[in-house]
Amino acid sequence: MVHIHSDIKRGLCLLLLSLSVLTPGTSQADDTLSVFACEPEWAALAKQLGGDRVDVYSATTAKQDPHHVQARPSLIAKARRADLLVCSGAELEIGWLPLLLRKAGNSKIVSQGGQFFAADYVDKLEVPQELDRRHGDVHAAGNPHVHTSPVNILIIAEQLSERLAAIDSENAAHYRSAFSSFDARWGEAMKRWQARLSVLNGTRVITHHRYWSYLNEWLGIELVATLEPVPGVSPSSSYLAGLIKTVEREDPAFIMYVDYVSDRPAEWLSERTGLQAIPLPASVDFQGGGTLIQWFDALADGLEAAVSKERNNAGG
Amino acid sequence: MQVDNATLSIILPALVAGCIVLLTHIPLGREVIRRGIIFIDLAVAQIAGLGVIIAYQFGWHIHGVEAQVAAISSALVAATVMRAIEKKAGEHLEAYIGVIFILAASASILLLANNPHGSEHLKELLVGQILWVDWIQVAIAAVISISVFACWYGYRDRIGGIGFYVLFAVSITVSVQLVGVYLVFSSLIVPALATYRLREGQAVLFAAIIGFSGYLVGLLLSAVFDLPSGAVIVWCLVVSAIIISMLIPSSLKSDTGIH
Repeated sequence: MVHIHSDIKRGLCLLLLSLSVLTPGTSQADDTLSVFACEPEWAALAKQLGGDRVDVYSATTAKQDPHHVQARPSLIAKARRADLLVCSGAELEIGWLPLLLRKAGNSKIVSQGGQFFAADYVDKLEVPQELDRRHGDVHAAGNPHVHTSPVNILIIAEQLSERLAAIDSENAAHYRSAFSSFDARWGEAMKRWQARLSVLNGTRVITHHRYWSYLNEWLGIELVATLEPVPGVSPSSSYLAGLIKTVEREDPAFIMYVDYVSDRPAEWLSERTGLQAIPLPASVDFQGGGTLIQWFDALADGLEAAVSKERNNAGG
Repeated sequence: MQVDNATLSIILPALVAGCIVLLTHIPLGREVIRRGIIFIDLAVAQIAGLGVIIAYQFGWHIHGVEAQVAAISSALVAATVMRAIEKKAGEHLEAYIGVIFILAASASILLLANNPHGSEHLKELLVGQILWVDWIQVAIAAVISISVFACWYGYRDRIGGIGFYVLFAVSITVSVQLVGVYLVFSSLIVPALATYRLREGQAVLFAAIIGFSGYLVGLLLSAVFDLPSGAVIVWCLVVSAIIISMLIPSSLKSDTGIH
């Protein structure tokens, strides 16, 4: 028994020691601007525009649903130190951002100048005509997934570079020149994507959630139905039966879904209708060093593969 | 991340919230184990959530106080029903509680079939996240928990079974919103289970040590390794219960357990 006790004591000491060893000092140069991004696409954009002048943290990864976030101590710590908050807005983060801001108590990112909501700068799709409370989750602000259109990215990039310049006026010239070089590269890339994906113009698709609305509008893809009857609600059996009828009637080309959701609804419909179910990356792999251009390249790859497979099926 | 003053100021409200939850859950947990109704907290929490959804379906614009009233009153109804069943059900009480839980959970799904907004309300109630708590919430919960604690120790011989169920319903409804259903379940059951063979005074002391060290180490580890706090605390509570119960001299343990 005595042995066990001393082992436990030794274990506890080791635990406490390892706690103190495992906490590297995070000393930061005071002159870098600290950016707290809610989603990885905005983190990648801020890094692109800020370079080594900014220190960027992303609250979520591309494999995570930004509607829901688990509270971790680092989230609050990062929000406390942030000089600028960059989020999608349009109520996407309504479930956790207000709580986080209240907890962080950082006056910088509560003020107008310290908050940047990407959705504020673009024309939003699917803004409800009238608000009916019985439909619950209808977002009054419209579809918040604005980052899925390259056109929106460019508009938002310009606004964000201006905001960075306003907050950190010493480096204003740096942010503006970073934007013009991003503008040039992004313009090139957009031409490339358009050339590759122009075949999709007029294609009809089914999506899981209305995640790709902005991308689809840019490419001229037409949405015939969603797997969710209303955003955030699982389909009932009668809704699924109706969905199969819709597929027969409208003859969509494939099903698009975000790869962080379960593949079961899309695979279910795929099995019953023979449509391909295409998982697409939701955002930039920022934590893995990815960039916005790499992400859109991956989207283009996925969509292109879907089209060629569909052609083969139709041909054979 | 670094465990410095900034981190401590983040985890301190959570630690205090944990102590408030433990204040009522250690004595009530002992009673729950004595009565053999382990899953009653899940059932009561689910019914409190159901009450909020029903209120929402009636078109009340529920937020804040109204939601609390709806939650507590439905939890009280549930407590009354469970007390009535306890009198009749005898040894199968736990099974009845399980059935009540699953009925309440399914009823919420049916009521929310077209209403994801309501499901957010339900989530707020069931999946409270301990790190989000602020001092105002902590203060309100403290007042309610201290009252429950005082009632339990002052009058438990007089209030009888129904008194226990009422106090239990109130404290579960409050604590679930503060720390979430996983932490409520573990705070209620784990310390009580580790100390049920001790006499009451000692049991409460050791249960408090288990509970406090579980919350403290859990919050520190979640800060160091940047993990969701609630889930880490659950594991730390269990580990702390195992370590502490090994440290308790066996002479203190009776064979029969709670009398």
